[in-house]
Amino acid sequence: MTDDAEGADEPTDLDLITRWKGGDQRAATLLVERHAGAVARFASSVGAKGDVQDVVQDTFVRAFSSLDSFRGDSSLRTWLFTIARRLLLDLRRSERRRGEQVEVQEHDAFTEYDSLDSVVAEETRTRMHAAVARLSKTQREVFMLRVSEGLSYKEIADVAGTTEGAARVHYHNAMRAIKELLDE
Amino acid sequence: MNDCPNADVRDLLPDLLHDRLDEAMRAMVESHVQGCADCRAELALLRDVRAALRQTPVLNIAAITAAVPSYRAPVRRSWVGWRVAAAVTLVAAGGSSLLVMQRDVPSYVDSPPVAVTPVRGTSTPLVVVPDAHAVAVAPSVEAPAGAVARVPRTRDDSPVAQTRASGSRELGMAGSSLTDLNDRELASLLEAIESLDALPSTDVESAPISPIAPRRGTP
Repeated sequence: MTDDAEGADEPTDLDLITRWKGGDQRAATLLVERHAGAVARFASSVGAKGDVQDVVQDTFVRAFSSLDSFRGDSSLRTWLFTIARRLLLDLRRSERRRGEQVEVQEHDAFTEYDSLDSVVAEETRTRMHAAVARLSKTQREVFMLRVSEGLSYKEIADVAGTTEGAARVHYHNAMRAIKELLDE
Repeated sequence: MNDCPNADVRDLLPDLLHDRLDEAMRAMVESHVQGCADCRAELALLRDVRAALRQTPVLNIAAITAAVPSYRAPVRRSWVGWRVAAAVTLVAAGGSSLLVMQRDVPSYVDSPPVAVTPVRGTSTPLVVVPDAHAVAVAPSVEAPAGAVARVPRTRDDSPVAQTRASGSRELGMAGSSLTDLNDRELASLLEAIESLDALPSTDVESAPISPIAPRRGTP
């Protein structure tokens, strides 16, 4: 899966959007391949469990259905995170109405590891997951977006519906908590 | 693990990790990190956390791309049709209102008085004005000087119409006493009363009377 990056020779997201609007469905596939992994990780970090595939799919369907409203003020990935977050909030509400347990452990949704994980010791990975899982929901969301996805505070504020200052505070509180948990 | 007191640099460590700093800023942060053990340790921790958290759930990319719809240009709503419809409605409503108003508004304003007769006991004439709606009712007190009584407007000058107008006028003047009227005035008054449409019926309606059943136990 291609993930992160628009490389130097890669077409930008806006280029691909333009091509898709011109009828090139392959451009949509490239966009999905580029961002689906990040959306899935984000969805998992904020509570998606066995339905990550559905959340990611719905996110892209909604995004492409309303791509005309995407102005490019933020990155496409940030916009996708915003859509995924709203979908998950709706999902949580409906689950809560049905009385289902929605709080999940961080690693529940992970069933496959990429090559980078092989260099990280299993024990360390388990401790990291445990530490992140003990953060508050907001801290975990902000921390994941900042560390795992590399978003700026401004982008995090857009996704999480908060302010840059609040995002910064959440990040540093999360960082302090993780240090303390790993030092135990 | 301790926190570096330089909060600004600590704030930028995730950006350094993701290579999101411009040239100058990156050089500054890297220079600080090289000489700061706390920042080096925090940067290493961030790398480990990132590696641990970047496990990607299994996804069926083909299913997602198959679900992505083809592009549809947004349909631009034409406002011309709405404007035309609104204008037609406005004209229709306005025209109807004008017709209703012309039918309902009494036109005595531009009509001449039908008769002028001095009121008994006063030196001021009572002006009788035709009116499509007003019903002349005899006042219980003497009409004030210059009073205007409205009578049903008549467009023809037929004797009947004149008589009705005259009767109404006499009715309006019969404030003091009926015994003061002569035969002609009384006849006109009676004719005017008969011509009124809104008189309540004085006939007793014959309601069916059902026999009252005697109560049990009552003698």
